[in-house]
Amino acid sequence: MTLNREPRFVDPSKCTSCNDCVDVCPVSLPNEYDQGFSSRKAIYKQYAQAIPGAYMVEKADKAPCRLACPAGLNVQGYVQMAGQGNYQRALEIIMEDLPLPGVLGRVCPHGCEDACRRCEVDEPVAICDLKRLAADQFDPRQVKIDCLPVRDEKVAIIGSGPAGLSAAYQLIRKGIKSTIFEALPEAGGMLRVGIPKHRLPRNIIDNEIELITNLGVELKTNTPLGPELTIDDLFSRGYKAVYIAIGAHKGVELGIAGEKAEGACQGVDFLREANLTGQAEVGKNVAIIGGGNVAIDVARSAVRMGAERVTIIYRRTRAEMPAWEEEIAACEEEGVEITYLSAPQEVLLTDGRVTGLRCIRMELTEPDSSGRKRPVPIPGSEYDVEIDQLIPAIGQRPDISALQSTTGLGFTRWGTIEVDPVTWATGRDGVFAGGDVQTGPSIAIGAIAAGKEAAESIVRYLDGRDMAAGREPVHRDDPVYRPVPADEPPRARARMPEISVDARRGNFKEVALGLEEEKGRAEAHRCINCGYCCECYQCVDACGHNAVTLETHAEQPVTETLDVGSVILAPGFEPFDPSVLDNYNYSHHPNVITSLELERILSATGPTGGHLVRMSDMKEPKKIAWLQCIGSRDMNRCDNAYCSSVCCMYAIKEAVVAREHAGGDLDCAVFYMDMRTHGKDFERFFDKAREKEGVRFIRSRIHTIEPVAGSNDLSLRYQLDDGQSVTETFDLVVLSVGMQTPPEVVELARKLDIELTKGNFCKTPTFDPVATSRPGIFVCGAFQGPRDIPQAVVDSSAAAAAAGEILVSARHSNTKAKEVVPETNVINERPRIGVFVCRCGTNIAGVVNVPEVTEYAKTLPYVTYAADNLYSCSQDTQDTISAIIRKERLNRVVVAACTPKTHEPLFQETLVNAGLNKYLFEMCNIRNQDSWVHKNTPELATEKAKDLIRMGVSKVALMEPLRETAFEVNQSVLIIGGGVAGLTVANNLGRQGYDTHIVEKSDQLGGQALKVYQTADGKPVAPKLRELVREATENDHITIHLQTELTDVDGFVGNFKSTLTGNGGDETVIEHGVAVIATGGQPDTPAEYQYGKDPRVITSLVLDQKLMAGDTGLNQLNTAVFIQCVGSRQPDRPYCSRVCCTHSIDNALTLKKMNPDMNVYILYRDIRTYGEREYLYKEAREKGVIFIRYSLDAKPQVAIEEGRLNIKLADPILGLPVQISTDLLCLATAVIPNKSDKLANLFKVTVNDDGFYVERHAKLGPSEFATDGVYLCGLAHYPKPIDEAVAQGLAVASRAVTLLARDKIYTSGQVAQTDPSLCSSCKVCVSVCPYGAPSLTPEDARFFPGTAEINPVLCKGCGLCVASCRSGAIHLKGFDNDQIFSQIFSISHALGM
Amino acid sequence: MSEWKPKIVAFLCNWCSYGAADLAGVSRMEYPPHIRVIRIPCTGRMDPKFALAALREGADGVWVSG
Repeated sequence: MTLNREPRFVDPSKCTSCNDCVDVCPVSLPNEYDQGFSSRKAIYKQYAQAIPGAYMVEKADKAPCRLACPAGLNVQGYVQMAGQGNYQRALEIIMEDLPLPGVLGRVCPHGCEDACRRCEVDEPVAICDLKRLAADQFDPRQVKIDCLPVRDEKVAIIGSGPAGLSAAYQLIRKGIKSTIFEALPEAGGMLRVGIPKHRLPRNIIDNEIELITNLGVELKTNTPLGPELTIDDLFSRGYKAVYIAIGAHKGVELGIAGEKAEGACQGVDFLREANLTGQAEVGKNVAIIGGGNVAIDVARSAVRMGAERVTIIYRRTRAEMPAWEEEIAACEEEGVEITYLSAPQEVLLTDGRVTGLRCIRMELTEPDSSGRKRPVPIPGSEYDVEIDQLIPAIGQRPDISALQSTTGLGFTRWGTIEVDPVTWATGRDGVFAGGDVQTGPSIAIGAIAAGKEAAESIVRYLDGRDMAAGREPVHRDDPVYRPVPADEPPRARARMPEISVDARRGNFKEVALGLEEEKGRAEAHRCINCGYCCECYQCVDACGHNAVTLETHAEQPVTETLDVGSVILAPGFEPFDPSVLDNYNYSHHPNVITSLELERILSATGPTGGHLVRMSDMKEPKKIAWLQCIGSRDMNRCDNAYCSSVCCMYAIKEAVVAREHAGGDLDCAVFYMDMRTHGKDFERFFDKAREKEGVRFIRSRIHTIEPVAGSNDLSLRYQLDDGQSVTETFDLVVLSVGMQTPPEVVELARKLDIELTKGNFCKTPTFDPVATSRPGIFVCGAFQGPRDIPQAVVDSSAAAAAAGEILVSARHSNTKAKEVVPETNVINERPRIGVFVCRCGTNIAGVVNVPEVTEYAKTLPYVTYAADNLYSCSQDTQDTISAIIRKERLNRVVVAACTPKTHEPLFQETLVNAGLNKYLFEMCNIRNQDSWVHKNTPELATEKAKDLIRMGVSKVALMEPLRETAFEVNQSVLIIGGGVAGLTVANNLGRQGYDTHIVEKSDQLGGQALKVYQTADGKPVAPKLRELVREATENDHITIHLQTELTDVDGFVGNFKSTLTGNGGDETVIEHGVAVIATGGQPDTPAEYQYGKDPRVITSLVLDQKLMAGDTGLNQLNTAVFIQCVGSRQPDRPYCSRVCCTHSIDNALTLKKMNPDMNVYILYRDIRTYGEREYLYKEAREKGVIFIRYSLDAKPQVAIEEGRLNIKLADPILGLPVQISTDLLCLATAVIPNKSDKLANLFKVTVNDDGFYVERHAKLGPSEFATDGVYLCGLAHYPKPIDEAVAQGLAVASRAVTLLARDKIYTSGQVAQTDPSLCSSCKVCVSVCPYGAPSLTPEDARFFPGTAEINPVLCKGCGLCVASCRSGAIHLKGFDNDQIFSQIFSISHALGM
Repeated sequence: MSEWKPKIVAFLCNWCSYGAADLAGVSRMEYPPHIRVIRIPCTGRMDPKFALAALREGADGVWVSG
């Protein structure tokens, strides 16, 4: 199979989860794990306990601002750094691509801002101003630029404008020196001579050119190309390459009469003169032709230089004007007049001098090739204006006169140099060109980009490498960005202060003053962070472990191909998004939240630390309502017709937990349709919530949540059963959202070609509940259908069994044997303790004084070595520790670092590699339980670290080498019970080649399923059951013992010896490694509703048998009634039998199908057709089955009156008594377990009050017992339909194989051991041990008869027996009394006690 | 009295409370540094003698959690 692996951008094998990267990351994003109630960084871990514990970086495509920048500046990066006030780093990011941050921060037309997605909220981020802010706050000359060592080759650059400077800068960074030849007396090109000082002060240009020359770039001014200096000369002078960047400094002529007369000059010439000399001839009445930035610059310069009237004449309208809007506005402010829709026709001269201009009015027609509307003259609209100076500024072009004779150069018809579009190479080898001379007049940042690209080409050219390879522009049609948050509040864009208009006259003081720092930083925080990670690489600097580097940041998605024999799908679900339902106001009201949001608020690790408040105003709620079935059981407003199965139970849990957290009189009300607590012990929880906790349960589906005017509260209107309408106000409303399959999983299913149900869950057959429609692909979890954790755990084990079964032949084929280092004998040696104190980068050392602690450790008894490490867990440190153990002959080791919960096995492995027994080790938790939690009291944290180490040293000195003994695992399996669950276990294990015994007390296999007519999907049970039985009978590995019971069990996991007794009293002894209890259940025998007194009153399974037998009498019935919860959900049996609602509805539908005219009633308390069984309920209602609800205190009354079977009950909807005369009354009887205390005792397992066996863990260990090697499935666990019984059978097979496949099991070293000479044979240890590990030796034993001994295989090392032993006869290795006391006695120094 | 910091010895179950104390660290929750934790394999291991010993050694409080 082919997988796409998305990059993590962090090396998980190196990350120690120390959090240092998070502290420096500037990008804050909503924390999804906290449902957006808190924030996280772009480098993050999903939640504290996430596995693997390593961090990851969230990235999307490169932000649009960066893509819009011709030079590709990492805009998001420097904006974020500016937001942090880290201007130096901002400049470092900028100066990767641009050596002139202060210059471009003033003059760049900032196409990036046009691309800014902040526009979707309000206005773009003031990116350009933030660039300037960085350069204002930190001198770019002080930024350290890394350059490679200087090479021999030199490059000539013609022109010191942005293109030339950029090329020189990028070349010197690569170690290539260049000489810039500049024709004018000063460097800077158009930046200096084209842009007036009021926009770009000269010292800014000077400083930034200086930073380039500081790097070693040579600059020669007054050195134009020409006859004295040709391209050929440069090559002959030894330059290896030439870059032509001479710009476009020649004004374009108007082409009208008189434009060369006295009083007329080109705009570029005017500006050059003004900028170089500070003065130029200025008229009193100046007309400027053009609408670009040059025209504006000329106009604003002319105003400053004393012109009385300045007019710009432009042939289109303001909307088409190429000059920037802010420039146009500024020039208007300064008094420049702009005449739109007018073009000059003729310069009017008097005595050869300009005295006027004849213009003509224009009008706009259809757009031309530039996309702007084309102006055409209006005939006869000529008019004259009086002027004394005319300055055309309609464009520039390169002056290529000095280049024309150069061989190899090509020119375009616009007079620009022809180059390769990727490499910027000209037709002549070694000659490159860029900037305005190649593009025609354009923007500075374009020239910067050109220079950078040319530098790359030149480096490759000098290296003799392919200049084009890998440089084709990459274009992504559909970039992925962080969505603009829907709730992002509008925030005004920051504006730079400017000097007043009056203060601008007669001088060239800079107008814009730059952003103030605080406002600038706030402005930077307007950035949406389109790319998530801004690639500022602060994390790279912060990571002391090289887990996140420039290389990991550059990781790309990879496609991997795996050879697999089977596939398991466990893609899970997504919660339903209630924002599509307007009537619940979820999107518009902050106090309507989802159940998942409430989970976070209630969580101790959540945003409020478990303090129950409304997040909108942090007020403690007094009344909370839960609304059930949001996104479930709803075809009108969403398409999820199924029941999500889990929401009733979680709502009750949330209500109970909320009351616990609120600690007072919190009012909790759950609004529901049917309360579905069909899981094990769920009904009991529901009863307790209602009766003891006072949670209100109101049967009503709320239509609308209305905000209460003038408050933040919410109002619900509902109807009670008696028709009374109630309006109630709540502080908080919780929507109990359902589960659904995410669209990407539906897509995955399509790709994998597996069939889905109509609810978009994976379609699976009843008798093969984890198999998809495609062989070899299995499924588990919520994708199989909405389910709770226990069921998901059962299914996951079942999927493992199903997937593993087809891989039997490959088992152990890919395993490697580990090399074993011989263990050094340390017994009777004096302790030689080594203490290794970890700095964990700054995680520990930043708080705890590690050198002081290490020195202290050296003073402790038996410590012969102590040292500190930067990261104790790194591979090289492990090797070092191992070497030190050998060199110093250490026989005990203490590591003071993080937590033994995560790192003890790693260090124990180091000990083993050094030949030490792994139990001669102790960890001191000076990070998680010290430096991380006491960072504000470093002295006390240091003292605590010393104490913890002293406690550890005193304990480890008393440690002894412990043995882990190996036991063979008998490869046979004993299954008690031959029903569907037991058969499933046997068949699966039999197919895997394990010898299996089924013990069945009756005379046939099949159990209760023999009596069941059909499954919920309408398939008959009998044929499938026959297959199961046949397979078990035919498999040589399976031995069937019918009419047999288990009478005795001896031994323990891996080595059981069981006695089977047949009904003839014959005994068989079987040795087996594991045992499975699948003893099933049976229907209860009702004692009510006239059962047994009238043949028309039958149980569900009897009706099934009639249906199987094809009883034709059923067709003739006029009326059939089903009563639900017969014997279930009542005080003497407070559990739901889970299967009966679906069963009765299924049978009701069968009867309706046989005879559509039959009146079929179902009398129920809550209908519990969980999951997609809900469709049956819906179908039954559609087909006319009548459902009438009753309550426990008003059960239906059944009477036989004059031969009629009459049922009376009160209809809660009609509020009236109803009487039904029926021909058939089918009782949905409770499922009761085949309880056996004897069996429970034999295996030392427990049963609950209802008679069901108690599993190891209700959620995480549903198919196994606390006793090792004993497993549980089927009805013996809890009532369940066939598909769930099969799944649990498979789950048991899978759990059993994890043991059987090991051949040998090892005891833990940390187990209890008795000292029989002290034992008083009181048997307390035997009675307290939950694992059945202690027992008494036989009375006839040769040594210490009748005293306690502990089976180390069964012992879990909990120490319960040790603490309960009155004789002090039991020791817990590794946690013995003297060891714990030594710790306690060491504390006394510690606390200054 | 407000300056008084009780000295507490905590016996924490390896499987739950000790892990919770680790998690408090991961979550950077702060608490007073006058507590010393002794990890025990299960609160079943807790022996009244341990609590008495801690008190005799001068602890102001003993906390058993599991």
